[in-house]
Amino acid sequence: MRGVARLVGFHLPLGAFLLFLLFPFYWMLVTALKPNRDLYNLSLNPLWTWSPTLDHLHRLLWDTHFLLWTRNTLGISLGATALSLATGLLAAYAIGRLRFRGSGLLGIAIFLTYLVPPVILFVPLSRIVSALGLWDRPAALVLTYPTFLVPFCVWLLLGYFRTIPQELEDCARVDGASRFQVMRYVTFPLALPGILSCLIFAFTLSWNEYLYALVFLSSTDQKTVPVGLATELVTGDVFQWGPLMAGALLGSVPVALVYSLFVEHYVAALTGALKE
Amino acid sequence: MDGRRITRRRFLQDSARAASALALTAWGLEGARGTASAQELSFPVERGASLRVLRWSQFVTTDRPIFEQNAARFTQRTGVPVRVEYETWTDVQPKAAAAANVGSGPDIVIGFFDEPHLWADKLVPVTDLAQYLGRKYGGWFDVCPQYGYSPQRNAWIATPIGAPGVAINYRVSWVREAGFDPDPARFPRTTDEFLRLCRALRARGHPTGFALGKAVGDGNTWVHWCLWAFGGRVLAPDNRTLTINSPETANALEYARALYETMIPGVAGWLDPHNNRAFLAGEISLTNNGISIYFAAKNDFPEIAQDMNHAVFPVGPVGRPTELHLFSQAYIFSYTRYPNAAKEFLRWIMEDTQYARWINGMLGYVSHPLRAYTNLTVWRSDPKALPFRDAVARMLPHSYAGRPGPEAARAMAEFVVVDMFADACTGRRSVRDAIRAAEDRLRRIYRS
Amino acid sequence: MEAGLPHAARGRAARLGALVESREVLGWALVTPALALLLVFLAYPFLLGLWLSLTDSRIADPGRFVGLENFRYLVGDAVFRLAVFNTLLYAGVAVALKFVLGFALALLVNRQFWGKRFVRAAMLLPWIVPTSLSALVFYWIYDSQFSVLTWALRALGLVSRPINYLGDPDLARASLIAANVWRGVPFFAIGLLAGLQTVPRELYEAAQMDGAGRWAQFRFVTWPLVLPVSVVVTVFSTIMTVGDFQLIWIVTKGGPANATHLFGTLAYQRAIQGGFLGEGAAVAVFVLPVLVACVALAYRTLRRED
Repeated sequence: MRGVARLVGFHLPLGAFLLFLLFPFYWMLVTALKPNRDLYNLSLNPLWTWSPTLDHLHRLLWDTHFLLWTRNTLGISLGATALSLATGLLAAYAIGRLRFRGSGLLGIAIFLTYLVPPVILFVPLSRIVSALGLWDRPAALVLTYPTFLVPFCVWLLLGYFRTIPQELEDCARVDGASRFQVMRYVTFPLALPGILSCLIFAFTLSWNEYLYALVFLSSTDQKTVPVGLATELVTGDVFQWGPLMAGALLGSVPVALVYSLFVEHYVAALTGALKE
Repeated sequence: MDGRRITRRRFLQDSARAASALALTAWGLEGARGTASAQELSFPVERGASLRVLRWSQFVTTDRPIFEQNAARFTQRTGVPVRVEYETWTDVQPKAAAAANVGSGPDIVIGFFDEPHLWADKLVPVTDLAQYLGRKYGGWFDVCPQYGYSPQRNAWIATPIGAPGVAINYRVSWVREAGFDPDPARFPRTTDEFLRLCRALRARGHPTGFALGKAVGDGNTWVHWCLWAFGGRVLAPDNRTLTINSPETANALEYARALYETMIPGVAGWLDPHNNRAFLAGEISLTNNGISIYFAAKNDFPEIAQDMNHAVFPVGPVGRPTELHLFSQAYIFSYTRYPNAAKEFLRWIMEDTQYARWINGMLGYVSHPLRAYTNLTVWRSDPKALPFRDAVARMLPHSYAGRPGPEAARAMAEFVVVDMFADACTGRRSVRDAIRAAEDRLRRIYRS
Repeated sequence: MEAGLPHAARGRAARLGALVESREVLGWALVTPALALLLVFLAYPFLLGLWLSLTDSRIADPGRFVGLENFRYLVGDAVFRLAVFNTLLYAGVAVALKFVLGFALALLVNRQFWGKRFVRAAMLLPWIVPTSLSALVFYWIYDSQFSVLTWALRALGLVSRPINYLGDPDLARASLIAANVWRGVPFFAIGLLAGLQTVPRELYEAAQMDGAGRWAQFRFVTWPLVLPVSVVVTVFSTIMTVGDFQLIWIVTKGGPANATHLFGTLAYQRAIQGGFLGEGAAVAVFVLPVLVACVALAYRTLRRED
């Protein structure tokens, strides 16, 4: 009886969720393995393929610059993430812990900047990118992505710092530690889960970004994965479905694997951040 | 020759504006007569010049290597290094827009439709180049000056490159079964006969399919053909008066409604790739498309490639071709430090050795804008490519009968005409209401 | 900013060590890098965008000041009004669904079960995959002829005709909302899961002792404690949903008949494709009041909870 209840109340809904969330990935996989002939054959079961092929994967890896783009995207994402995290961490600490004059207002101001949508920003922003001589350089993205990463990082870390008891810092101060030492040896280590979750969030958003990457980078060897795939695998009105889907899978599953290492930390971090 | 003169005169009447007589020479139309005296032209390349070219990414895999070979040979000959950058064809515009706005970026952009007219005063005039090419290669087709020449600048601001053409794609055996001759030369030539064919196909369980969603290429090309075939047009030649609300437009919509009854369900949501898939799966018997379906078929579905063919769009009551194709042109931003090198590069790729290699290599994907290139071997190599040959010759500008420019760009970007057809076909609105709704939107766009 | 600088200037001349210990100086010093980034790459272009919305600027033409003309024009524009409606509908329904489904998923994975780690990682996948590519998957799933959904429903005998997912305005809206929900559920689930874990076990035990049923436990223990988290996650999601661009642009381009145009897609179409930069900027600026209203609402809710 308990088993039935658990099945209806837990396993079935969870199964439904996984089906809903993961089906598109299954679809990517099947599409990436199907020969083109089968792709348009309505008499076949679309959910399976009897003649799987690695041609699409081969095409993706060797006929496009996918590996190079992956490296670029990785570099840009890590750079933007590091920059956002570093600046966000310092700002959040200052606003949340030092409580200096105007810090409350500043917190709200930084939160509000998150509201500005990139669709209106990119034309004026391109002027600044150009004035700084950053056209077609990865630095353009490393410097502009923080505009949507820093606000979130600050917000998340602010919440997290609040959960670290002030007494810990006070004790260290009494023992003669400078503010820097307190930050370095007391607060930041305790905030590590929060920092990790910021890292994951920032990395994901940088990894996915399309518009800025399209406009600010031009050369084939500078492109990021989402833009590069569109350039080389969408030919007029023909989408190279196989390689595109292979690219989508290769572009997300490795990140998910890394996530699975972090995910418990991530949950823990948010838990801390939101405990009030 | 006679026929051409009539079209030309008609075109001049249509675009009755003071400048036209003056501009006639500027358009290089004179060149259509005397090609023998064409003089060689070459631009003195600046010392230390280098070029960045932004263009649409290839539609067919042979395009890019040949284009880059041509560029490499240009570098060998002139010492000017050329870097070619590619974007998906719909992504060229935002990049060019940013470049125009910022005043730095690629020296040359190869884009589509109105683009040069959106930033006309940021471009290097290329009248000398256009006149030279027109003189040397038998003249530009009539539509070219309308796209390349800017009355505002009183100069050519872009060099037409060609047009990925669109034709009727059909299944040979099904057309034959429906009682029609599948030979492209004897394919229905009038809109009435064409409708009879589509109905016969539908009656035999082989529906047609024409995109009515926001399909930049496939949607716009067929609805504009239909609108113009019945004499409807968005604008009067004065580029101000809206003429969409006319009995001709209503006729076009009624015709489209009849055609819609022969279509497969779901076309209202179709974007550019949909009809390719449906055709290759044998779900539809007839559609409008570039040569891309045929190429996909040759690779993966040889039996369909065997059983399909192309024909030009039929002619409506106006009695002459009224087609729209994706028109591509190259333009040079005036922020470039090497305008001569840029012009020389455009001249180089348009001269017959290079251009012929490139267009032949693209296997019929792109049709030429210069009359002399009608003899290219590609148009003889595969008879199934032949109907794409005259795409530029048969087309009108999308802004017809007005001029390309921001308003026309916006009307097309907003799919006003496509939506009008979709409204009427799907029954969301009556024909009259569909026209009124389109007129309201156009009135706002043209602020008249 | 102005308040801090004189302090810093004076301070550097005096004893540096003591100054680093000062809240004011150190505070501003630590905030400066983030502020500088945001000022240069966000505030400045944003102000430029605001200015554009007040001009008749076109691409490559700075235009002239026209006051509120663009806004006046837009208010009378049927397509824009439709886009407002679409955006509110899209964001409202999608965020509500994401919230309910995300909450349910969070409750499910908050238990102990075999494979928990795998499930928690796998459920994040939709959020990780680049939208430009996942949108292509939905584009294919919603195909009028090749839809695997239609195929499955047919195989089950539930429908006999193909479903016109993207050709019918209402269905197209529903289809895009479903795709957006798919992408957004993980964000809610992970945020709310974190919230759930802050609820101390003892509270449930106490409630059980008082004889509270499962519903009462949820209503009086879980819900109040998770509410603040919910508000924050909802606000962030609302911002992202209202500003959505890519999904719509790839799947429908705003069609059919503009039934799925949002602020973002309309702004892009008018500013970039049509070249009417000023008007496009005005469309985008219209987003601000909507978002500010959301944030204000969220702040008030959070305050009341305190």
